Amino acid sequence: MESAFLRAHGVSKNFSGHVAAERLSFEVRRGEVFALLGPNGAGKTTTVRMLIGIIQPDEGHIDIPGEGPARGRLPPDRTGYLPEDRGLYQEIPILRSLVYFGRLRGLDGRDASSRACEWLERMGLLDRKNDRLDALSKGNQQRVQFIAAVLHRPALAILDEPFSGLDPLSQEFFLDLVRDLRNAGTTVLLSSHQMDLVERIADRVLLLNHGREILSGSIGELHGRLDTRPRLRVTLERAPDAELLRADPDVEDIAGDGPDLRVTLRAGAQTPPFLARVVSRVPITAIGTDAPRLHDVFVRAVRDDDARAAGRMA
Amino acid sequence: MSYARDVCIVAQWEFGRFFKWRDQFVSLTLFLLVSVVWAGAALVAGASGRTVTIALAGIEVPAPAGGRLQFVPAAPDDRTGTDALRRGDVQGVLSRRADGAFELLVTKDPRYRMELMVLLEEVVRRERLQASGVSSQALQRILAPVAFDVRFTNPVRERQGRAEKIAAGFCIGVMLIAVFISLANLLTGITGEKQLRVTESVVSAISPQAWIDGKVFGITATALAAVANLIVGMAIVALTAQFASGFTWPAASLRPGVVLALAVYTVLGLLLWNSFFAAVAATVSDVYTSSRSSLLFLPLVPVVLSIAVLRDPDALVARILALFPLTSAPALPMRLVLSDPGLVEVSCSIALLAGAVWVMRRMAGRIFELGILLYGKEPTLPEMMRWAIERRVR
Repeated sequence: MESAFLRAHGVSKNFSGHVAAERLSFEVRRGEVFALLGPNGAGKTTTVRMLIGIIQPDEGHIDIPGEGPARGRLPPDRTGYLPEDRGLYQEIPILRSLVYFGRLRGLDGRDASSRACEWLERMGLLDRKNDRLDALSKGNQQRVQFIAAVLHRPALAILDEPFSGLDPLSQEFFLDLVRDLRNAGTTVLLSSHQMDLVERIADRVLLLNHGREILSGSIGELHGRLDTRPRLRVTLERAPDAELLRADPDVEDIAGDGPDLRVTLRAGAQTPPFLARVVSRVPITAIGTDAPRLHDVFVRAVRDDDARAAGRMA
Repeated sequence: MSYARDVCIVAQWEFGRFFKWRDQFVSLTLFLLVSVVWAGAALVAGASGRTVTIALAGIEVPAPAGGRLQFVPAAPDDRTGTDALRRGDVQGVLSRRADGAFELLVTKDPRYRMELMVLLEEVVRRERLQASGVSSQALQRILAPVAFDVRFTNPVRERQGRAEKIAAGFCIGVMLIAVFISLANLLTGITGEKQLRVTESVVSAISPQAWIDGKVFGITATALAAVANLIVGMAIVALTAQFASGFTWPAASLRPGVVLALAVYTVLGLLLWNSFFAAVAATVSDVYTSSRSSLLFLPLVPVVLSIAVLRDPDALVARILALFPLTSAPALPMRLVLSDPGLVEVSCSIALLAGAVWVMRRMAGRIFELGILLYGKEPTLPEMMRWAIERRVR
């Protein structure tokens, strides 16, 4: 069986001269969680809208291997979509809304109703199925919106910024939901600007900036790009002689004021000898380490791309 | 999933969203209540109507046949009448001054003034006839209107003509009411969906054309059902009026073909306007600040233009208005009942109107496809026209 669920071939989109997506090519593989990452305005939502068929690319095309070009839209009965701009009918009972969206995605009314009740029970909202949506809290409204996107058990779930606006507990809840979808065999494409959440759930990522691809690969490959130099957070008894510390052969960089320092050691440097040298000059009251994070890869890649773009402009 | 299935699902949804059974039931109950109160009031007023007694101070006025007035003679002096008035024996004292003018002495505003005036005018008319020497029979002959009868070769047509004119006017009225009900639902519904950001969820599942078609069918059905409920309510009131006033409806009959044509024009005209307004509503972000509000009165234009048909239903302009799709919905029904347009003209007119509905829904679908996802600045009319004409604009 073809491993790719869908492929984008050089898709581009311009809005009144503004480039929202530029020659993007990527594939989403069956059963994986694929993340579109990027800062605000990077072109994630435009890319998602092109994939779902709400807008058409100016150039390039999207196809479903084995089925040919998507002809404007992905098959709605096999695709679920959670838009960035969340919205359901506020004045209408929750169950009725869910049944409507289920029917639009190909379910019959009875099936849609029973599946909606199952999901509502799982979300702890079954007793509120006849309430108007606007009677629910924002977090619960997001849960109902999520149900509307996956009620018909799509083969591909496209989730645009699923974690935005959620409190930490709800973020964990939604991470579990995405994991459950993947475990049930659903391919998930999500967009987000929150790398720290994405790295916990995604198999592969595509990093966008100004509509362009600036980085892509599996989470493992991205870990290979991490800055592995030791980074320490050191609190001294008193402010040290910074020049003396900078002169240390293992020190790459020192930041911070007074007794609180952030020290980056050179690649390959050992931490204990460095600390021994520091203690011989000033007593240390606290030590910590900064673990390398994909978030930093994300930030650095975007900054590098911005700098290159600024250079081209100059 | 098929287009037809999507349209049906959306139409059902829109009907369920806007047609509130409870509200319709309440409105029907209100009609019934008003009718019952009206009939009851009429019965009570008829049974307990008070008689107004007026003292005639030295003058003679013939006793009225029926009505609430009754006259009693009184001495021509002021005191007798005034005393009777104070005691409440009479409600007014009528006298006549030297210049011939009547004078009514009362203690409060006479609500029977008009009734009394009619009687006094008759008194004065008789006096003047006697003075001029013309008999009342001679005067009636002079003032009698010209005798003029219209006789139809087919007497049934005479009864039909009257009934069909009422039916045509009724259908045009129904269409206008339904257009404005639909307009309100389309504007609030579609702008609401834009504001609630429901649009992306829906257009990712079905085509914008299926969505707008379903909306137009659903909201058209909602408006027709609401108007049908209104008609039932009005029928209840009419039957009550018949019961309360003893009014009898004249015998009337309608040609089945005319009834069918009127129904077809009402539905097609409504679909045409609803498609147009669905497209307009898709470009409106906020119904309260939109510059599109001037378009809301457009459905009145064809009705006003169709008044030309009333003046001369066989004039060239009337024939053109009856064929032109934007005016045919009110114009052809008028021609149908005032003249005899013939099967060919009616068929052509219906075909043109149906074609216009199809073109309008396609154009509306293209405007809707772009407008529904557009927030903030509203597109200009030339932009909307470009969207409507271009085949693929997304």
